[in-house]
Amino acid sequence: MMRRWRDVLYPVVVIGVILAAWQAGSELGWLRRVQFPPPSQLVQTLYQLVQEGYPEGIRLWAHLGITVERILLGYFAAIAIAIPLGLAIGWFRTLDHLTEPVIAFCRSVATLSLLPLAIVWFGTGEASKIFLIGYGCFWVMLSNVIAAVKLVDPVLIRAARTMDTDRLRLFTRVALPAALPRMFAGARVALGVGFMVIVGAEMIGTIHGLGALIMEARTFYRTDITMVGMFVIGALGFAIAVGLRRLEMRLLPWQDREAGRSQ
Amino acid sequence: MKTVESALHKIQVVDVTKRFDADALGLPPVLDRITLDVAENEFLVLLGRSGCGKTTLLNIIAGLERASSGSVRVDAAAVSRPGGGKGMVFQQGALFPWLTAQQNVEFAARNRGVPAAERRALAQELLALVGLAGAEAKYPFELSGGMQQRVAIARALALDPHILLMDEPFGALDELTRIEMQNELLRVWAARRKTVVFVTHSISEALVLADRIVVLAPRPGRIVLERRIDLPRPRRRTDARLLALYDDIWGALQ
Repeated sequence: MMRRWRDVLYPVVVIGVILAAWQAGSELGWLRRVQFPPPSQLVQTLYQLVQEGYPEGIRLWAHLGITVERILLGYFAAIAIAIPLGLAIGWFRTLDHLTEPVIAFCRSVATLSLLPLAIVWFGTGEASKIFLIGYGCFWVMLSNVIAAVKLVDPVLIRAARTMDTDRLRLFTRVALPAALPRMFAGARVALGVGFMVIVGAEMIGTIHGLGALIMEARTFYRTDITMVGMFVIGALGFAIAVGLRRLEMRLLPWQDREAGRSQ
Repeated sequence: MKTVESALHKIQVVDVTKRFDADALGLPPVLDRITLDVAENEFLVLLGRSGCGKTTLLNIIAGLERASSGSVRVDAAAVSRPGGGKGMVFQQGALFPWLTAQQNVEFAARNRGVPAAERRALAQELLALVGLAGAEAKYPFELSGGMQQRVAIARALALDPHILLMDEPFGALDELTRIEMQNELLRVWAARRKTVVFVTHSISEALVLADRIVVLAPRPGRIVLERRIDLPRPRRRTDARLLALYDDIWGALQ
């Protein structure tokens, strides 16, 4: 229980101190408002974005909604393809050898460098944005799923073999559950990638979405809006990551949480 | 005469040599022409330093690894793959962490086609046998190292094996737990007679457990000493005859 307390208290104190110092620095004139608008102004801006919106009429919720929709579409599409593919590649050594160079290459391509291509292939509408997010998430998820299967503790496979486990059950009842924790970790990393790609993906042909909001604000030196947008994206990503973690603890209650914490 | 021989010898290791690919550089083989018989219901201990090939030999008997030459027979039939009534307990338990103690034991029974209701009863019975009644619903991470090994033994027994292969099963446990587990194993073994091949590097563990101790020396892996121990169990660790044997074995290991 003591620990729980500290888990909440410490971050709150640290963040509080940073915000106070920031505000004070601004009041005392050490920080330029254009570069570092003080927290008090960010709160006002947040209020404005919620009430009036920016650009005029597009409220924060609308930006948030469309961004979440794009991320989730791209993310889940990527995961839905990456999981079965990754399981197969991780399980069959030949497939792994065949695909390894391609995956290493595609993974290394910076997702946003594909932006011009995405426009040529999918136009400037929704499809190109979802494609970019999906692309970023896909390769990360794929390589994590492959690694998850390949890194299954060989002694578990050996133990199962001494118990006359046939090859199908060896996969479905041993390799698959053993790979799940790493797959979940991969899903969390992939989601992070989705959030990194979104701002860039929303730079093209739209004024809707948090990324577009940030780009619009840049044009008019509205640093405050950029920062609020940034924080909202951060909070959103954090909330979804926490949700995923909760889901994982529910679905995989057999994991040693204390060990997981220290890792 | 063949039938008589196979009745006497549950496991026959004939001229087994094992080289790893890396040994092509003129290094001596891991196992060099090992010949060894294990009688039905005998408790055999393979004893040796790290790297003497004892685990490799156990894995070859299990069918998890292949010999470079020579053969292993169980009930006069050549061993080609794991399973088939050869239960195994590994050093770190190798329990499935996503299954409870009960489910881990049931997993083994399921593969030999025991119906669900019987599986449940069997798993409970075996967990009780290894002293874990009440811990059925626990996941491995909630169990101590000694308790995990108890589950691993129960799981191996759920295969209804005629041979139990044990690869340093108590090697990762502290000394006191280890002594407890040795006593437990003897108790379980008295209740369920099996042919046991037990690998260890602990001389005192070998002396307490074995009907017969086979001492292996490394590079090349070979048998350097064999001793039968006819003392009744439970044995006092300080028994003068055991201490004399201890010196013999220690000498052979030098």
